[in-house]
Amino acid sequence: MSLQELDANRFEEIIYDNCEPCLVIFRRKTCHVCKEVVPILEELQPQYEGKFGFYYVDAEEVKSLLQRFSLKGVPQILFFNEGEYRGKLAGKIEEETIEEKIAEVLGA
Amino acid sequence: MVNSYDLIIIGGGPAGLSAAIYGGRAKLKTLVINKGTIGGLADTTREIVNYPGYIQVSGPDLMKDFQKHAKHFNVEFLKEEVISVDFSQEDKLIKTKKGKEFSAKAVIVACGSEPRILNIPGEKTLRGSGVAYCATCDAEFFEGEDVVVVGSGDQAIEEGMYITKFARKVTVIVLHDEGILDCNKVSAERAFNNGKMEFIWNSTIEEVLGKENVEGVKIKNIKTGTSSQLICQGIFFFVGMIPSTHFLKDSGLEIEKSGYIPANDRMETNLEGIYAVGDNRVKYLRQVVSAAGDGATAAVAAERYIAELKDFNANILKNDKKILLLFFNVLINESLEFSTLLERLISENGDEYKIFKVDMATKKHLAGKYEIGKVPAVVVLDKGNVIKRLDCSMDKEKLKSQLF
Ligand SMILES: Cc1cc2nc3c(=O)[nH]c(=O)nc-3n(C[C@H](O)[C@H](O)[C@H](O)COP(=O)(O)OP(=O)(O)OC[C@H]3O[C@@H](n4cnc5c(N)ncnc54)[C@H](O)[C@@H]3O)c2cc1C
Repeated sequence: MSLQELDANRFEEIIYDNCEPCLVIFRRKTCHVCKEVVPILEELQPQYEGKFGFYYVDAEEVKSLLQRFSLKGVPQILFFNEGEYRGKLAGKIEEETIEEKIAEVLGA
Repeated sequence: MVNSYDLIIIGGGPAGLSAAIYGGRAKLKTLVINKGTIGGLADTTREIVNYPGYIQVSGPDLMKDFQKHAKHFNVEFLKEEVISVDFSQEDKLIKTKKGKEFSAKAVIVACGSEPRILNIPGEKTLRGSGVAYCATCDAEFFEGEDVVVVGSGDQAIEEGMYITKFARKVTVIVLHDEGILDCNKVSAERAFNNGKMEFIWNSTIEEVLGKENVEGVKIKNIKTGTSSQLICQGIFFFVGMIPSTHFLKDSGLEIEKSGYIPANDRMETNLEGIYAVGDNRVKYLRQVVSAAGDGATAAVAAERYIAELKDFNANILKNDKKILLLFFNVLINESLEFSTLLERLISENGDEYKIFKVDMATKKHLAGKYEIGKVPAVVVLDKGNVIKRLDCSMDKEKLKSQLF
């Protein structure tokens, strides 16, 4: 299943208003590493249905968010819970690392 | 259940896809297992200007054409990572990370290479916060800033020039003496004429500095041994590639210390039915066009090998006559003389037996299968079962008494 895209407004809503536990991958169309990491998330997503949200933002569209989290590169996966930023993973990330991070975020 | 194929290709870059086209066209049941995006390194290349027939094409576009071509010949694709293999039997086994198992008569290794990581302090922790490996992906994040590029090969210099479109200044850290870059001459000249490019010679990087974001780098002059710091907001590493062959370490496949696999002009490795192609083999030129050539060669060699194997199984193991598997080696004279003697003896005595000569140098799997250590050696088969091993005497009567 493909990931749901967030624009700047939806980002605020999901993360800070709904305080949803979730991850957001910042990606670009021209980035080949993103093309490897996004499918991993798409595969993981169904396992976490109802427990943990999976979203993406297009780094070219939401420059303000890049600055807020001082991101300098894609792909990066940012993790959130209870309206708080809970860390990030950058670059070519393995499936296990993502699963561990989700467990950590949900457990904390 | 194990899915079986004629030919499995590990890696879906230009080498693997070309092998797939030839394999599919030869009507071999062919599977490509590729972990990343199809097209491998070529898929990450913005523009390719030296692939015959294409004056200028983007890597992804060219690779889409390669894959379409392979699919046209009914090649199957699987997006998975191969983590272990067993090449010791006639049927080669392949296991993926998700636990799937496959078997194949022949395997082509086309895993290419991956960027080398220097593993210096700060490199890992600041990834995505200023440490980068892909200019196409990340150059724009450094608009108006100072960037360091490590390395001086084609990739470093070409990517460095691309980054100058965004950055204020690009400083290239070069291992060699002043004026010497590892890249091609055209690129070197362009780089020297680029007003935004600067060079630091005889140097390497010791550490990436910064807490949340990259704030600078520690540079070491390898001639004088002195260290210095340079303020920058970004650092791109292009320090070469290492072959992605580590998962084959214990497979019995001969692999050089550097990770490259030696193969002959038919792409055959030291193991029968296993071929190595493209960037992961020992070779002179690592480009798309040569990767494609390797793939074609290996697939044709694999096709012939599979045909021989099938022929052996049909004609030898299921033959009505008794078969004498005669193992010889052209370098061992005794084995050649014995061969002449045995052939004469058999032709003089009716048609109870049929001789099948096996060259030890090329048919290693048969030697292994029948546990042959030295030549000459003869195994007598009846419907594929071993019924006797001959004492290879040069005495014609002694030999005859064992057979008739
Ligand atoms: C920046 C750059 C620019 C270049 N420009 C050009 C150019 O202009 N012209 C040109 O001709 N060449 C160019 N090249 C070289 C060219 O890209 C390579 O020579 C070519 O891609 C090699 O093909 P390959 O099939 O051997 O390996 P790769 O293209 O590296 O493909 C290997 C594939 O195998 C997969 N793989 C690896 N391990 C496993 C595993 N265990 N299980 C499953 N799959 C696995 C990888 O994911 C990858 O998809 C360039 C290279 C770089 C880095």
